[in-house]
Amino acid sequence: MGNALDSTLIAALRGRRSTLLRGLGPLAVLIALVAISAAIAPGVVEVDSLVSFLSDAAPIIALVIGGTLPILAGSIDLSVAGVASLTGVLVVVLNPIFGPWTSVVVILIAMAFGATQGLLHSWLQLPSFIVTLGTLSMLSGLALLLSNATAEPIPDNDLFVTYLSDSTADIPNTVIALIIIIAVLGLMLRYLRLGRDIYALGTGERAAIMSAVNVIAVRTIIFAISAGCAAIAGLFLISITAFSSPTLAGNLLLLSIVGVVLGGTAISGGVGGLLPAVVGGLITSWLRIVTVIIGVQPTAQNIVFGLTALVAVALTTDRSKLGIIK
Amino acid sequence: MTGSLVLKGVRKTYGSVVALEGIDLEIRAGQVLGLIGQNGSGKSTLLKILAGLAAPDQGEIILDGQPIVLDSAATASRYGIGMVHQEQSLIPNLTVAENIFLDKPHPATRNGLYRWGALNKAAQAQLHKISVELPTRALVEDLRFAERQQVELAKVLAIEELVDRPPIILFDEPTSVLTPDEIKLLFKQINRLRGNATIVFVSHRLEEVLEISDRIVVMTDGRKVAERDSGSVDRNELYELMVGRQRVTDARSDRKPAAQASTPVLKIERLSSGQHFRNINFELRRGEILGIAGVLGSGAEEVCRAVFGAERVDAGGIAIEGRAANPTSPRTAVRQGIGYLPADRRAEGMLPSRSLFENAVLTFGLDYGWRSLVLRRGKERPVALEWMKRLKVKMHTPYAPISSLSGGNQQKTVLAKWLMARKLKILLLDHPSRGLDPGARDDLFAVIREQADKGLSIVFVGDTISELLELSDRIVVMRDGEITARFDLTDGAMPKEEEVVAAMV
Repeated sequence: MGNALDSTLIAALRGRRSTLLRGLGPLAVLIALVAISAAIAPGVVEVDSLVSFLSDAAPIIALVIGGTLPILAGSIDLSVAGVASLTGVLVVVLNPIFGPWTSVVVILIAMAFGATQGLLHSWLQLPSFIVTLGTLSMLSGLALLLSNATAEPIPDNDLFVTYLSDSTADIPNTVIALIIIIAVLGLMLRYLRLGRDIYALGTGERAAIMSAVNVIAVRTIIFAISAGCAAIAGLFLISITAFSSPTLAGNLLLLSIVGVVLGGTAISGGVGGLLPAVVGGLITSWLRIVTVIIGVQPTAQNIVFGLTALVAVALTTDRSKLGIIK
Repeated sequence: MTGSLVLKGVRKTYGSVVALEGIDLEIRAGQVLGLIGQNGSGKSTLLKILAGLAAPDQGEIILDGQPIVLDSAATASRYGIGMVHQEQSLIPNLTVAENIFLDKPHPATRNGLYRWGALNKAAQAQLHKISVELPTRALVEDLRFAERQQVELAKVLAIEELVDRPPIILFDEPTSVLTPDEIKLLFKQINRLRGNATIVFVSHRLEEVLEISDRIVVMTDGRKVAERDSGSVDRNELYELMVGRQRVTDARSDRKPAAQASTPVLKIERLSSGQHFRNINFELRRGEILGIAGVLGSGAEEVCRAVFGAERVDAGGIAIEGRAANPTSPRTAVRQGIGYLPADRRAEGMLPSRSLFENAVLTFGLDYGWRSLVLRRGKERPVALEWMKRLKVKMHTPYAPISSLSGGNQQKTVLAKWLMARKLKILLLDHPSRGLDPGARDDLFAVIREQADKGLSIVFVGDTISELLELSDRIVVMRDGEITARFDLTDGAMPKEEEVVAAMV
């Protein structure tokens, strides 16, 4: 009896980890999308175009990663687009004060803002949807106010933005920065208690509280990370455009949420992860390319994008894990 | 009379798991059939098949000589089969009347139009049939559990009106959260139905099954292993048939009063909380098991929750090892070495879609980490698995979601979460055996007793008096938020069950 149990346990330990397989559905969709595009326009899979695709996709992927964490924990952060837009404006406005370090300071400001917002949401028990919708409006307004609603060139003495607009050994530095962020967050989720607590909160908040999970701290930290990722996404954007515009990231909010869902993360929380977020961000970005290469005229691109996103969600989401879909 | 149901060679699998195999069963008209078996033995699956909620892979269902196909709950109710669900199937934000007629056509709701007057009157008539007085306009969520069960019974019995044969009523563990009085009332109603209805009664409490059933069927691992007339069998034989081993009849005898330190581990003084309880005083020493007896609403559960920081306290103090503790949240309580096994396992005890392993290491994983900062799966995994082994958790892999296991194995895993703690001083058990079969219950109690012998102090709110008498060193009885009696069992003085009941109600 004892031996039989031991051997089943050992077999189980070597057994497959279903969590790793979870991302495979969306991954297959991504591969299929790329293959279809390559059949229509072989040019898109050449190394040069892939590299430039990745650097275009980096802001969306960063937003999707940041947006995934609160959703995993059963909340949602809608303020990311506002944070990203305001980041660009602040890099210009605060440059006279902080000089070359402005963008780093702005990231820290964003994280402090995110932490405050997470604290408000969890401590005062305000729904995150409403809190972040309010701050989204405030941040977007602040960006307009501070910039006088005009686009301005990015000062060329900013160290981090200058670094991001460069490349190392033909790889854009935005891509390198993105990979570092993914690696750091991946290690945090796996090796810190935070990772488990996030899933616990998203799966059953009451059970998490009764198991001594520090709900307020977890929510504060993930909203700080979310805002930090959004700020970095903003820096990615201005490193590409070289201009800051107060509405720079305005259209990216819905794209980032589409990315979260496409990767297989459940809006209801508790199901999903970092790699699904990356895949979801890649699919979303690639869908935008598809609308261009199949020759949709610019005025109709949103329609086609919306349609393809619906089809992709239908193909990727594993509804059996989600229970009742809302 | 008609209303007999026969199953022939019924088999049901879920993926590679065989839930039922070769079930031949005769449910005789007008009788009460008791169905018992351990968690995961296939009773629930069998009930689901009878209620039309699951389709058998093989086999036949024959009603009064006619083979029938039960492909939905609606079909089952057309044949006069209805189920009183364990977790209750009422919609909380609808009224009593709406719920009773939710699943059946009625003139009062024809064409989707509500004729409220007629609906309420019809509902009143259904409730009167079982001699229950309840406001039909009340929202179900405002009723007590036992009242909701009465509504559910009325809802099932209303099927009678739809068919011209006696109804077949399935009770899925109806007594598990009822007080002794409420159980008596339920049994009275079942006895009244006997003869006019065919009844299948599932329960983990063998005494109840013996009392109410005409015949008893025992299931193990998806098979029918025995069928007895309830007059020709006793509790111990049923236990053995069900668990496959003999019951350790006198578990108490080897329990010695633990060495007792001078300061109590837990001291509660004049603790009060609004409507829930008033002026509660007790002490808990090292290695002691303190049982709290009390019906739902007596405040026993709330005292437990207050000690764990999950219930507001208005006055009084909680001291741990002589120092004022007064936990304000579960987190502070856990930091002071208190663990709590909640009564509502599904909402508060476990994370349903996460793995067994993750559930077990959720709270104390970092105790095995690097400087309380970085998790080390290599260190925590063997400990978690060791506890699951000692608690005899039946599983294929620790990475399966905990919701795929039976209630007993879930509860064992939730207990493993607390036992993983390195510095646990007090463990609060709130109805730990709720929904557990006797075998799983005994596994759980054995480990609890063993931990108490090792010095863990335990507060235990019991489901039944017999289990309180079996496990506790001392018993505190609560009624309406106050302590009404105390019994000390350490010097061999066992109070009679009636004495404890007298203080409870």
